[in-house]
Amino acid sequence: MRDVLPAYPSLVRSATLVAATYRGRVVLSLLTAFFPLLTMAVWLTVVAEGGPPDGWTTDDFLSYYAAATLLWNLTGDRVVWQWDADMRSGDLSVRLLRPVHPFHQYATSDLGQRLVFLVVLVPALVLAAWLVPGLNYPADPLRLAAVAAALVLAYAVSLLMASTFALIGFWSTQTTNGWLLWWGLGSFASGWVAPLALMPDWLRTAGLVLPFRTTMGFPVELLMGRLDAHQTAYGFAVGLGWLAAFALLYRVAWRFGVRRYQAVAG
Amino acid sequence: MNPWPRQARILGICWRAAVTGEMEYRFNFLANFALSMFWMLWAAAGASVYFRFTGTVAGWTQPEVLVVIGLFFALNGLRQALLQPNLERMTEYVRRGTLDFLLTKPFDAQLLVSLRHLKVNNLLDPVLGLTLTVIGVALSGRGVSAAALASFLLLLACAVLLMYALSVVLMSLAVVLVAGEELGRVSFAFVELSRFPVEMYRNPAQAVLTVVPVAFLTTYPAAALLGRLDAYLLLLAPAVAAGAVVLATLLWRRSLRSYAGASA
Repeated sequence: MRDVLPAYPSLVRSATLVAATYRGRVVLSLLTAFFPLLTMAVWLTVVAEGGPPDGWTTDDFLSYYAAATLLWNLTGDRVVWQWDADMRSGDLSVRLLRPVHPFHQYATSDLGQRLVFLVVLVPALVLAAWLVPGLNYPADPLRLAAVAAALVLAYAVSLLMASTFALIGFWSTQTTNGWLLWWGLGSFASGWVAPLALMPDWLRTAGLVLPFRTTMGFPVELLMGRLDAHQTAYGFAVGLGWLAAFALLYRVAWRFGVRRYQAVAG
Repeated sequence: MNPWPRQARILGICWRAAVTGEMEYRFNFLANFALSMFWMLWAAAGASVYFRFTGTVAGWTQPEVLVVIGLFFALNGLRQALLQPNLERMTEYVRRGTLDFLLTKPFDAQLLVSLRHLKVNNLLDPVLGLTLTVIGVALSGRGVSAAALASFLLLLACAVLLMYALSVVLMSLAVVLVAGEELGRVSFAFVELSRFPVEMYRNPAQAVLTVVPVAFLTTYPAAALLGRLDAYLLLLAPAVAAGAVVLATLLWRRSLRSYAGASA
């Protein structure tokens, strides 16, 4: 890792430049970038008709889903499709020859693309928080620093989790299906289907120990100021724990998997 | 132009070949079917969260929402089976100049680029989706009259035509933009918006979705099946669908005029 880090800035930078070159594509991609707002629209109807569910007001939903939009665009799961395509086509062989481990090649390429989105989304979110009176994020510096750390952790866990899954490709051709199943189940415990606070108790409890909340619900709740110091520390502990677990799993899977790689074509 | 029966027969042969080819990978087919089933349960379970707090959302009960989700799933399956595989190839056609070659074939070019390929994995999704729709109707406790069923079928046919028109529009744009993946997102977003009845989104989103015509995909056919469709829509929907197909066809011809060829 230490010898790879110096290569990160330039690799990320080149991926950013590639992504930013196709501006028409960025605009079209933005179409799906705001999907969490659809779920929000349904919740706003629920609030308007039946009153705030479990005390969640219109403003709470606005604040939750505006922030969720940012997290929705800060996942690293695209690497699963990239790995899968390269294993099938044999292009992974070329990547194996490069001095940087394939994990970092995929990671930097994805990170570069994410950055292009962030450049558009973060200012939009800041502007919305300033203009829309309902958007309320308590802005003390300590909390904002914690949120920044939680965002980095969210991306890191998402990326490592996805990369670990991608290695299933050494054994099976069903990687992307397996990942979709995992993501689909996880979306109930991450805060993506609905805020965890509005889920049944058993699901909320499960969500607190599973890795998914780190990638969405935790940073969003932190930004909204719904977590006290103890809950914040707990959230970071769970996230860091899963980060370590996936890093270990990835290493083990890579060691055994890469021996099985047969370079299908190329 | 060739007579229609011949074109239909040729497409039939292409599709049969696609089915035969992909059915060789039986495990893959089964795995995808299982995943389809999972996504449908996922959609139904996801919508149930709203109903933990309320009996109806914008006048739709939970079983009635299941009717819409079933239709959404059916149309989304159709999108993945027919629209997506052809759109993905369109970019390559333009980039490599294959389009030149396709245009010289004695077959209607618009049909060829938009319907030639078929992705077998999602072919059973419409069956799954319609099953959920039937379950939703049964749970809602409403009877379905012959008139309601007939108007449902008419509106469903209009929805399919609208999707086809969208597909041709995207094909035409692909000739100019050469960005298949991103155009795929447009079609994904269009169909994805129809996951819930449009009334469940609040204005102005609801008004926009009625104009854009997402409401024609699932909301109106579901309303027809549940016997509460405004009668004027029985005339408006076919008009919108036909208009969309005509406009899409005109756009396709226009985009071909601007196409300069890339092979030679």
